[in-house]
Amino acid sequence: MTYFMFLLLMALVVGLVAVASNPTPYFAALGLVVAAGVGCGVLVGHGGSFLSLVLFLIYLGGMLVVFAYSAALAAEPYPEAWGSRSVLGYVLVYLLGVGLVAGFFWGGWYEGSWVVVDGLKEFSVLRGDVSGVAVMYSSGGGMLVICAWVLLLTLLVVLELTRGLSRGALRAV
Amino acid sequence: MTPVHFSFSSAFILGLMGLAFHRTHLLSALLCLEGMMLSLFIALALWALQFESTGFSTAPMLLLAFSACEASTGLALLVATARTHGTDRLQNLNLLQC
Repeated sequence: MTYFMFLLLMALVVGLVAVASNPTPYFAALGLVVAAGVGCGVLVGHGGSFLSLVLFLIYLGGMLVVFAYSAALAAEPYPEAWGSRSVLGYVLVYLLGVGLVAGFFWGGWYEGSWVVVDGLKEFSVLRGDVSGVAVMYSSGGGMLVICAWVLLLTLLVVLELTRGLSRGALRAV
Repeated sequence: MTPVHFSFSSAFILGLMGLAFHRTHLLSALLCLEGMMLSLFIALALWALQFESTGFSTAPMLLLAFSACEASTGLALLVATARTHGTDRLQNLNLLQC
C-alpha cells in the first residue's frame, strides 16, 4: 500500500507537469482532471474519505467541468499536445528538475511514512475527517456564514462582469 | 521531507512556474492557478489527516469555497475577454489596447 501511495503521489506530480508545460488549454484541462482524480486517491489512502468525496464532487465535478467547457473559447486550429516540439521540451525540463530534487531527498524516504487517520485508535464510529468537517456547522458557524456571503458576492461580481450591453462593470463588453 | 510533503510542494511549485513562464492563453494561466489551489487543498487536508487534528478538516472546505470564487471570477473575465477581443490570447490583449 505504501508503494501504491508512492505511485499516486508521482501521478499527481506528473499531472501538474502536464498542466504547467503549456499545451493547448483542453489538454491542460485533461491533465488537471487527472491530477484532481489522483488527489482524491491520495486523500482516500490517508483516510480522508469525506474530504476526498468533496474534492471529487465539487472540484472535479463542478469546477473542472466549467473549465473544460470554457476551453471551447480558447480553441486553436493547430492544437499542441505533449508530444509536440516546444511542449515536449518543457515536459522534459520539468520532469528532470523534479527528479533531481527528488533524488536529493530520496534517502529519507522509507515505508513507514504513510500515516492513516484513526489508524492507531481501537474503535471509532466516525471517520476523523467526517467529525472534523462537522465542526464547521457548530464552532465554525461564523466562518460558514462568511463563506456564504463571499459566494453570494462572487455571484454578483460574475453577473456584473458578463452583463453586456455596455451596462456592466466592463463598458467594452 | 516525506514523499507526501515533497509531492504537494513540487506540485505547487510546478503550478507557479507554469503560471509565471507560460502565458499564451488566459485559460492556461487560470488552469495553473487551479492546479496550485488543488495542491493547497491536498496539503491542508493531509496536514489535518496525518497529525490527527481533525478539527482542522474544516480549513480545506473553506479553501475550496474561496477557490471556487477565484475560478468563477477568472472564467467571467475570460468570457468578457472573448466577447471584446474574440480570443483569449494574452498577446492579443497587449496588441489591442483601448
